[in-house]
Amino acid sequence: MANYFNTLPLREQLAQLAKCRFMDSSEFADGVEALKGKKMVVIGCGAQGLNQGLNLRDSGLDVSYALRPEAIAQKRQSWKNATENGFVVGTYEDLIPTADVVLNLTPDKQHTPVVTAVMPLMKEGACLSYSHGFNIVEEGMQVRDDLTVIMVAPKCPGSEVRAEYVRGFGVPTLIAVHEDNDPKGEGLALAKAYAVGTGGHKAGVLMSSFIAEVKSDLMGEQTILCGMLQTGSILCFDKMIEEGIDAGYASRLIQFGWETITEALKYGGVTNMLDRLSNPAKIKAFDLSEELKMIMRPLYNKHQDDIINGTFSRVMMEDWANDDKNLLQWRADTAETNFEKTPAGDVEISEQEFFDNGILMVAMVKAGVELAFETMTAAGIIAESAYYESLHETPLIANTIARKKLYEMNATISDTAEYGCYLYNHACVPLLAGFMKDIKTDVIGKGLSLEDTGVDNKRLIEVNTALRSHPVEAVGSVLRGHMADMKKIV
Amino acid sequence: MDSIRLDNILLNKVTVNFDDRFTLSEIDWTIESNQHWVITGTNGAGKSALAAVLAGVGEIENGTITGLPKNVGLVSFEAQAELIAKELKKDDADIMDVISLGTPVHEMIFENCQDPELAHALVEKFGLSTLLDRAFRKLSTGETRKVMLIRALSSKPDLLILDEPFDGLDVDTLAMLQAHLVSIIDTTPMILVLNRFDEMPEFITHVAYVDKGELALTVDKKDESAFNELYQLLHLKTTDLQVPEADPANTLPVLDPSQPLVRLKQATIKYGDTIIVDKLDWTIERGQHWQLSGPNGSGKTGVLSLITGDHPQCYTNDIFVFGFQRGNGESIWQIKQFIGYVSTSLQWEYRVSTSCKNVIISGFYDSIGMYTKSSDNQKKIADQWLALLGMKDRADQPFNKLSYGDQRLLLIARAMVKHPPLLILDEPCLGLDDMNRQLVLALIEKICEGKEETTVLYVNHHAEDQIKGIESYLGLKKNN
Repeated sequence: MANYFNTLPLREQLAQLAKCRFMDSSEFADGVEALKGKKMVVIGCGAQGLNQGLNLRDSGLDVSYALRPEAIAQKRQSWKNATENGFVVGTYEDLIPTADVVLNLTPDKQHTPVVTAVMPLMKEGACLSYSHGFNIVEEGMQVRDDLTVIMVAPKCPGSEVRAEYVRGFGVPTLIAVHEDNDPKGEGLALAKAYAVGTGGHKAGVLMSSFIAEVKSDLMGEQTILCGMLQTGSILCFDKMIEEGIDAGYASRLIQFGWETITEALKYGGVTNMLDRLSNPAKIKAFDLSEELKMIMRPLYNKHQDDIINGTFSRVMMEDWANDDKNLLQWRADTAETNFEKTPAGDVEISEQEFFDNGILMVAMVKAGVELAFETMTAAGIIAESAYYESLHETPLIANTIARKKLYEMNATISDTAEYGCYLYNHACVPLLAGFMKDIKTDVIGKGLSLEDTGVDNKRLIEVNTALRSHPVEAVGSVLRGHMADMKKIV
Repeated sequence: MDSIRLDNILLNKVTVNFDDRFTLSEIDWTIESNQHWVITGTNGAGKSALAAVLAGVGEIENGTITGLPKNVGLVSFEAQAELIAKELKKDDADIMDVISLGTPVHEMIFENCQDPELAHALVEKFGLSTLLDRAFRKLSTGETRKVMLIRALSSKPDLLILDEPFDGLDVDTLAMLQAHLVSIIDTTPMILVLNRFDEMPEFITHVAYVDKGELALTVDKKDESAFNELYQLLHLKTTDLQVPEADPANTLPVLDPSQPLVRLKQATIKYGDTIIVDKLDWTIERGQHWQLSGPNGSGKTGVLSLITGDHPQCYTNDIFVFGFQRGNGESIWQIKQFIGYVSTSLQWEYRVSTSCKNVIISGFYDSIGMYTKSSDNQKKIADQWLALLGMKDRADQPFNKLSYGDQRLLLIARAMVKHPPLLILDEPCLGLDDMNRQLVLALIEKICEGKEETTVLYVNHHAEDQIKGIESYLGLKKNN
């Protein structure tokens, strides 16, 4: 199998990368009609598989689960998840031949063996659905010509997909149709109905392409989302210890700091996150982030280049073939970092204090979000995609660190994201060594201690203008506006 | 000035019978000598009876009262009526063929007077000077009330009990009386019976709330939140406001009247090998109000969630709800539109930061939080509910900043706002203190008044929280 993206001519590559449109709610007027009475068989019963299935069934659709025989025989967790929730469970042979839609909700790594196994069993003209395009785009999976191939990707963890549905809402969802596999032209109708079935249409649906989803998703997750937060955690913690700050305090400031500062990001973008700082601190954070952007830009470019030209997926797949040697080693190394081993101390840190004493963390988030966004858009990914894969998802990942530090983050994200995160971290920690030498506790740990909190008017205006005029802020305010329209009173 | 030097008055499990007309039961109450109380409650709750007990009225059947002073001044409609009846009797008893003039007002005022100077001053202030020679029974109701007040105030009572003293007084007299009461707060403990909170004088220190012949609550006025809740409770109990109408735009599919609302056949819930509910048959007919009870772990909430569609095993059971045989392509939203639901877990899940008004409106959409624009009519209905709850001023406040009890009240309004065919109240009082329990029960009773289109399913394990009109009972047992 060859990298699908690399087989396309440049003009087609660019056209596919640029696909991303925020759909109007009127486009979902048909509800789940296109899937009514059809047999939907889910493969995989992890967090996404189970929770999407629960939503689809509660929307009146016919859902069952196909598991591998050993998962059924050994009554594994996936089997328990499905049966305790009252779903029909069977083997591929039992269920796939009857399926009108097969929902492949297994981890990326299993896609090739899973799809290879189910494809011959699928009935003529059925639909194969993915929630991530890696298998099609990077691995070049060739799907039978008579099958329709779509993607429906809720942009939140499975538990949230369910929780929001139960509340009567949904989570933002990306849909796509693989144009090479849309023989009956029904791909879009099926994808829309599927998005309605999971509640996604209430929170906003982006119509994208397999290619744009993969190339932007990979970029976001390995740089700003996971890589930057992991690198930032390690560097900030070690610096604070070096400067004699209480280890428990340092651990808490970082573990819960990302969540707190990116909450401000979620509500009002980078601008609002920096507006939470005092004027002198804001200028400080701005200057630090400019420096960080200058140092890290080549790294972001390299990640994006490797993702676009397929180097990243090739190298990662070599590691898959090598029994995940690198991944497992890096995972073990992460568990041994001082930040990871130091429990958060039993100290009270007020919401504002996370900003005041975490100026460097704010600068890192700003630098990471803007760099990822700039790099993605420079590579031909359009602003809407780039926004979702950078700024929008940062708070979601920050929440996982608040729960159980880097371990939880890396356990929650996909193996693909985890692999990319470690790659980034290994390059970024040494890259920032020089920068970190000059860092003192005024920007991480203690906050500025100024007699005079005055600032130069001209400088403040420059900083505010620069913040507000960044392109991620323009697209962000539009998309958050859409969200707010629908989620009016949240 | 003399300061108060009385013993505390202690009522210990006192049950008092009033000529078999009314009973006060099991009153536990301590009135300290430096306190001034208001007794409040709805009409017929026993406010006046409780006040009268302190003046020695009624037959004590059980319990003890200690510390009651001898000289108690009592002004009440009952005492007034009694006095007038006595006067009229004098008339009847007159066997001589002369016209009885009855007792003149000055005699009524000064016969037992301890402080003639004060009495004279009050006669002046109350504008009774020209009436002193008239027969007491010839006075108007308002005038006899003034005479009663002067008698009580000038008798130098050790305890002054005034039952609705401000009723029917003109503005000037009212101000004068209130000023006089303020002047004696250091010497005379007072008990006032008041229907309306806004008449409560500043000097009151405590409030007693009477309900159905019981002293349901006592509140220290310094405890602001409890005081506000009591205010709200009284509002709910006494308001003339009715439960707001449903939204005519919010129409439900018509149900076949020959079908039950809910029918579970051999319903079973199990986790692994553990059976929680075993082969339960249950049919809920329209208009048949049910109470469902059982110990923790007996599957009450599980059974309910089979009905509401929140339990995943509703797809593996034989369940008929609102015209749908479950598992035939219906969505849970088609089921939920027929149900209003309140439970403690709903309150836990209702963590979105939204306004109180929106919480009520979200009941139209069966959602937690609001994700759709609401109509003007929905907003109007929500406002009516807020008025009913006495929470008009909190319409735009964030829900998650409210007290636990107020949140529960709003969630009950949310459940009821669309007038659902089935209202499920799953332990609606769980986790509430006495005051809030009273509030919630008052609201539920208000809702159940003449609302025939809604069938109520009430779940509890507190036998004392009964709701009028429920006649069908289902008890679940713990299976293991």
